[in-house]
Amino acid sequence: MASPSSPVFGELARLDILVAVPPDEEGTFLVRELRRTRASVRSLWPLPETLPDTSDVIFCELASGLPARLPWVPGNARAALVGVMPAQFSGDFDLLRTSAVDAVLHRPLTAHAVMTCLIIAWMRFSYERRLRQRIAKLEETLRAVRLVERAKAILVAKRNLNEDDAYRFMQRQAMERRVPIAVIASAIIDSQAILG
Amino acid sequence: MPGISYRRDDAWRVGVLFSRTGFMAVIEDTQLRGTLLAIEEINAAGGVNGREIVPIVYDPGSEPAVFGHLAKRLMVEDQVTTIFGCYTSSSRRAVIPVVERLNGLLWYPTLYEGFEYSPNVIYTGAAPNQNSVVLCRYLLENYGRRFFFVGSDYIYPRESNRIMGDLVRRQGGEVVGETYVSLRAQRRDFQPVIRQIRAASPDVIFSTVVGDGTIYFYQAYAEAGFNPKVMPIASLTTTEAEIRAMGFDVGEGHITAASYFQTIEGGQNTGFVSRYHKRFGDDEPTNACVEAAYFQVHVFAKALESTNSLDTDILRPMVLGTEFDAPQGRISINEASNHANLWTRIGRANRRGQFDIVFRSQDAVPADPYLISAGWGFMAGAV
Repeated sequence: MASPSSPVFGELARLDILVAVPPDEEGTFLVRELRRTRASVRSLWPLPETLPDTSDVIFCELASGLPARLPWVPGNARAALVGVMPAQFSGDFDLLRTSAVDAVLHRPLTAHAVMTCLIIAWMRFSYERRLRQRIAKLEETLRAVRLVERAKAILVAKRNLNEDDAYRFMQRQAMERRVPIAVIASAIIDSQAILG
Repeated sequence: MPGISYRRDDAWRVGVLFSRTGFMAVIEDTQLRGTLLAIEEINAAGGVNGREIVPIVYDPGSEPAVFGHLAKRLMVEDQVTTIFGCYTSSSRRAVIPVVERLNGLLWYPTLYEGFEYSPNVIYTGAAPNQNSVVLCRYLLENYGRRFFFVGSDYIYPRESNRIMGDLVRRQGGEVVGETYVSLRAQRRDFQPVIRQIRAASPDVIFSTVVGDGTIYFYQAYAEAGFNPKVMPIASLTTTEAEIRAMGFDVGEGHITAASYFQTIEGGQNTGFVSRYHKRFGDDEPTNACVEAAYFQVHVFAKALESTNSLDTDILRPMVLGTEFDAPQGRISINEASNHANLWTRIGRANRRGQFDIVFRSQDAVPADPYLISAGWGFMAGAV
């Protein structure tokens, strides 16, 4: 058992967790176990048409129609999602795919199972989010390179600047206005599109 | 440095990974010193919010794979989230998967080839737009247009030469030769390099040789009787530490571009150099890698003072945008790229093993690790 001071507990204590399962004995147990992490936990039942979008982790009954109740589109999740298996499961395993859960919690619930699902779901989700952030930054960079090259070509053609002076011009504008150079490049391209 | 690995429950524990053994020890050992000096200063002033910073220091022995394993040990067994370390790009790349998966923060105090962004790294060494760009122009204007590239055979030299090659050709220069030696190169391995240089007879040699190879290369150059006044070796990595190891007479006249040199006058540098000398000895020079290793710990402490938490998701947003009066001048951490906005300087080594500064940017240069603004030539220089 990791010590209470280990990084994972520090991280869990900061979480905002939503529990959307029936508030029966097991539902109460789930909320109580999650509160032991010192996370902030609230419960919600019956399932609303759209689940709220303000939590870090959502424990949600794996009910048919769950994908339609999620406040995001698949691939763009804004919280880690733990599916809680109903005692009487319909056998619709495609729900796991369409709701894109990060972990599944089976009844009857145990303290260890709750912790395991919470940690796995949160770690996977937050790692994925970091990777998405890295990809977004790379895509932004690729777009910026393309914009700057196009704007440079316009400056060379219209302003009779050489390549270096064109870059220098954009750099100076960006520094004076304290905006990224891609913003300047984009403005040059737009004004070219309007003025011709 | 006794007692550098101990535990105390109320302390801020951080990991430190610099090689004290192996072929990179000459420079990485100085980065370890810069790191420890900053930690000692902070602790002497009462720590951060009353708690000491305690470094857990391992020696990766210049082996990239060992950096990865030790990063894992730091994060898994020692349970630290913040790691100061890495010199070579190979070692940085070995640590990145670990800090990304476990959500740590690697503070990387070394110039490198750019073209990288990890949300789990703070880059405090220079990117190419903060050194190569100006160095290339300076060399073309002062020595000539025919360049010869010599590098150690790994990521940084090959990438760095690709960038330098573009810059040289775009400004009308020419690369007349390019050759690589093993990272573990011995003295004799530089003889063929010297013969190639003699045959090509370039105007300037751009060296991306790192570690012990640097010393052998400059010594082989001196023994060959070449003249730095007409055909200098220019580098981004040959600092005061390497010059001292090769001999002041061997290093004299060669050129280095860096954010920091010990000879910077005034500001925070005077106190920094004297504290460094007092701690490690009067004949131990500071250098750009020491300085980055030093100021990044202070930037870390400044952010930690506000967050009072080492949790990466809390600390990182506070680090971004932080400004600090470093020995090189006022620097800041660029929010868009996780890289530091740093000063650009060019130095020429003198007979005392120090650098005479022949160029300085007017201000800190915003980091542009992907060279989006092809950011060269835009800076008006001043000496």
